[in-house]
Amino acid sequence: MKLKLGIIIAILCMAIMQVNAQEIKTTIDTVKIQTSAKCNDCKERLEHNISFEKGVKSVELDNETKILTVVYKTAKTNEEKIKIAITKVGYDADEMPADQKAHDRLPACCQKDADPH
Amino acid sequence: MIGGESNPLIGANVVQLKTLNGTTTDAEGHFNLNLERKAPQKLVVSYVSYQTDTINLNETGYGHVHITLNKLKDLDEVEVVSRKSGSHSLRTETRGITSINEGELQKAACCNLSESFENSASVDVSYADAVTGAKQIQLLGLAGLYTQMLTENIPNLRGLAVPYRLGYVPGTWMESIQVSKGTSSVVNGYEAMAGQINIEYKKPDEKDKFFLNLYGSQMGKVEGNLNIRFKLNEKWSTAILAHAEYFGIKHDNNDDSFLDDPLIEQLNLFNRWKYKGDNLRMQFGIQYLKENRKGGQMDFNPEEPHDAENGYGVGVKTDRYLGFLKIGYILRNRANSSIGFQNQVVYHDVISFYGLNNYNANQFSYYGNLMFQSYINDTRHQYTTGVSFALDDYNQQLNDTTWIRNEHVSGAFFQYTYSNYKSLNLIAGVRLDYNNLFGWLFTPRLHAKYNINEHNMLRLSLGRGFRTANVIAENTSILATSKQIVFTKELNIESSWNFGLTYTAYIDIGVKELSITTDFFHTRFNNQVIMDREENPFIVYIYNLDGKSYSNSIQVEAQYEPVNRFELKLAFRYNDVKTTIGGELKEKPFVSKYIGLLSASYQTNLKKWQFDLNVQVNGDQRLPYTGFNPEPYQRPERSPVYAILNTQITKYFKRWDVYIGGENLTNYRQDHPILQANEPFGDYFDSSIVWGPISGIKVYLGIRFTIRK
Repeated sequence: MKLKLGIIIAILCMAIMQVNAQEIKTTIDTVKIQTSAKCNDCKERLEHNISFEKGVKSVELDNETKILTVVYKTAKTNEEKIKIAITKVGYDADEMPADQKAHDRLPACCQKDADPH
Repeated sequence: MIGGESNPLIGANVVQLKTLNGTTTDAEGHFNLNLERKAPQKLVVSYVSYQTDTINLNETGYGHVHITLNKLKDLDEVEVVSRKSGSHSLRTETRGITSINEGELQKAACCNLSESFENSASVDVSYADAVTGAKQIQLLGLAGLYTQMLTENIPNLRGLAVPYRLGYVPGTWMESIQVSKGTSSVVNGYEAMAGQINIEYKKPDEKDKFFLNLYGSQMGKVEGNLNIRFKLNEKWSTAILAHAEYFGIKHDNNDDSFLDDPLIEQLNLFNRWKYKGDNLRMQFGIQYLKENRKGGQMDFNPEEPHDAENGYGVGVKTDRYLGFLKIGYILRNRANSSIGFQNQVVYHDVISFYGLNNYNANQFSYYGNLMFQSYINDTRHQYTTGVSFALDDYNQQLNDTTWIRNEHVSGAFFQYTYSNYKSLNLIAGVRLDYNNLFGWLFTPRLHAKYNINEHNMLRLSLGRGFRTANVIAENTSILATSKQIVFTKELNIESSWNFGLTYTAYIDIGVKELSITTDFFHTRFNNQVIMDREENPFIVYIYNLDGKSYSNSIQVEAQYEPVNRFELKLAFRYNDVKTTIGGELKEKPFVSKYIGLLSASYQTNLKKWQFDLNVQVNGDQRLPYTGFNPEPYQRPERSPVYAILNTQITKYFKRWDVYIGGENLTNYRQDHPILQANEPFGDYFDSSIVWGPISGIKVYLGIRFTIRK
């Protein structure tokens, strides 16, 4: 029983090391994107949605500058795909305007013409 | 300088982030603070009824900083600070308050309030008996009765609701829970004797628009929760919270012919409204709950006559109606001043039988509390004063005996709060009530917090509490025995003094902070209603305390995050609870001598997965004396020590969460929980000697679906 457990743990450890080894091979990049976010709700909404995009490793919106910093795996996604994802949540991403439908669905306080607060 | 929307804020707290280096603003709203170099160059600015703000000095510059705070949306007394950690003590609170937020509540996905305290070191949850499935809490080793329950700062779940109340609050309705030990604020009445638990439901105008939760366990229990929130316009919003549960499969894994868990059907509906004007704020709502519990022997048929031939059955039918209205008015011309009016009406009806005992009862209650809040000189000296009225009409019938109790309590209170962030914070309150049955009652209470330095703080609490016992409703477990209840004297109101001392130390280890909280609470009863089952095998005597009764509770709790997103909590508590029963000072039965808790929680990057595990070790408990029973119906003097292991894994998707979990994974069960289970109408039948889990391992699976705002 103990031996079996030992073997299982050893295999698991090897599997984890394998995964880590793969991660090292893929390159990681960071991009900073100016968004039209307005408030803390926007921050939560953007961070939640973008974190579920393929290849995204970390995501954070700066409350003051409204710049979204995304760390991603270059093998799985790229800057353009991330920008498109932002526009689909309803926000401008640098030069790319927000998807109109998604933007109109946002609460009034989070839309582009709302006062900053 | 710090200002509100128009005027300067006097006595606002300014603290450097992650330190206790702070100050308060002067009469013109100015402040001066020397920053610590090592800590983040950020200031946290807070002020009662304003939104706390964090200012990054690297962006604003260091010289003259002008800060404007926004008014808080609500008039809620306790502001819940949301932080990553699921359950945490609120550092700036004068009272020692532990908050359990939504993230923590989701760690134990099933099902209601009773599962919400799995990771809480202060609150114990146990079964009341072996047939009804009713669960009870303990705080400081004292029965849950001595802990006041509030829903959104209004006393609730009292009287007849007590035996099954933990099942009346669905887990997914709750936004957060605040637990405080010792007597609490005088604003909420004289009841909190051992502690206070406040439940905040989800609000109409916040968070998710749509939420659905579906849950099923391997035992056959299914549950559904639906929360919908509408924002009608800028001022009005509403929410519908719905809960249904069904458990219809009979289990008897310990082969004692009794169901391990009762069958339950419950429907719970709540509609609430919120109005947010410029000065006027209002919230109101209605709630309806219907519950049907069936327990007892496997072959008992509730449709047939409830007699010995049919077998032993238990049935509890509950209907509960509740309405509340809260109005708040903010005075524009005077900062930080407001008027609040809380109202609540409850009608609770229960029809039940426990074997050959029939117990039917209803309760009508009204609670009204009118408060005025303002300050003296400057806003460091705040006060809340007001008047309250509470009415309870009980009508209870046990077999051939009827009890009617009409109790009304009128009271007035004054509470003074001094906040000076740097060193001392103080809440001192008095209230005077007139109870039509027990006369004048005077309740003084004091809470103080002293910051010794940045990493060490001391809290003190001292106060008095009262409570009227509802003997039958609070001891329904006795109805599920062959014993008779005999009242030997007219019962007085229960009263006690509580004293508590809490020391909290924050120790920096690397970049993370280890927090260690040590507390000691002493409760001494001047009067207590004693349930004496140790004199006579066939009778339970009920009388007033004659002698000493006290509880001492010492707890040490440590919390640390050794690796990013991996949180560890370790706690240990020692209880010494003694009561004079039959002229002799005895250890109170069913109180664990000690409790140990280990809880671990890990979240992967970006919160895609979450893993939770907790282990609770329950020390031995004294069991009620059974030596006068024939040998097969005797039980040992003390219960064994046992441990319970729970775990849950959650996978988060964009809109869906899937969770799988297990409770009591080691499958620990109390053997033979029922005395004379083979002859339930015999002289020694007793299902109330329960010290551990009756049903074994429980595995569940659930999904949550959320449409965010």
